Amino acid sequence: MNAMTAEQRQTSAREVIEISFPGSVEFVVLARFTAATIGARAGFDLDEIDDLRLAVDELSVSFGPLDGHTGLRYEFLRQGETVSVRCTREPIEGAEGGFQAEREVINWQQARELSEQLLDELVTAHGREVTAGRSVAWLTKHRGSTVR
Amino acid sequence: MDQIVAPSSPERAEEVSLPTLEVDGELDLAVAPWLHDQLDALFVGGAASIVVDQSEATFLDSTALGVLVGAMNRCHERGGRAHLVVTEPQILRVLTITGLTDAFSLHAGRAELPGEGAGK
Repeated sequence: MNAMTAEQRQTSAREVIEISFPGSVEFVVLARFTAATIGARAGFDLDEIDDLRLAVDELSVSFGPLDGHTGLRYEFLRQGETVSVRCTREPIEGAEGGFQAEREVINWQQARELSEQLLDELVTAHGREVTAGRSVAWLTKHRGSTVR
Repeated sequence: MDQIVAPSSPERAEEVSLPTLEVDGELDLAVAPWLHDQLDALFVGGAASIVVDQSEATFLDSTALGVLVGAMNRCHERGGRAHLVVTEPQILRVLTITGLTDAFSLHAGRAELPGEGAGK
């Protein structure tokens, strides 16, 4: 009889976590927190978890400035020792603006270039696409894929 | 705004009176506008070189890094340097990945800053 250990069950299971929040930058910390949790469940070591937290943060940077009419939806999928994350920019019905002004000091072109460099190193694969008319930034990271 | 303690060596006095910003916690998009304003204030009075002490910081993303790069460019335009005190490995990793370790003057502690150890 092949009995699975609790650890084996955890690492082979498929888990999906979804979080959505308004386009206020303060909420991105929630995505980082979720990334740390799901990274730990995928068996990532502390360095890999740090990398995943940063990479998840960088997904939101790829959209440039958000305004009060736009929110972010993060979908985290863990399949064994692989974590996949999709970040979708979504409209918020009836929302008011007000976040644009506090972001005007950011050089978004420069931030995107730095972000691309970081994502290239931090994750196994990443990219952007448009799905159902909405911008999506995504990444995949396998356990043990980071070279330091 | 903190000032680095002046050493006893008078010839290095100009080096050590660098305007300094201490930052802690997570430096991300939520903090970047505040960071920009704080760094902007360091240049009041015509400073060419600045110190950003990140020894208590635990996270740095591309938006906050971009703000630091802007300050660094401003230092270079004035013939100065941007000194970063960095102890968190993940922040050092961000600087390494983006190829900025040589663009900034990196220090593992304030004791390594210009002239800081001269009087000790």
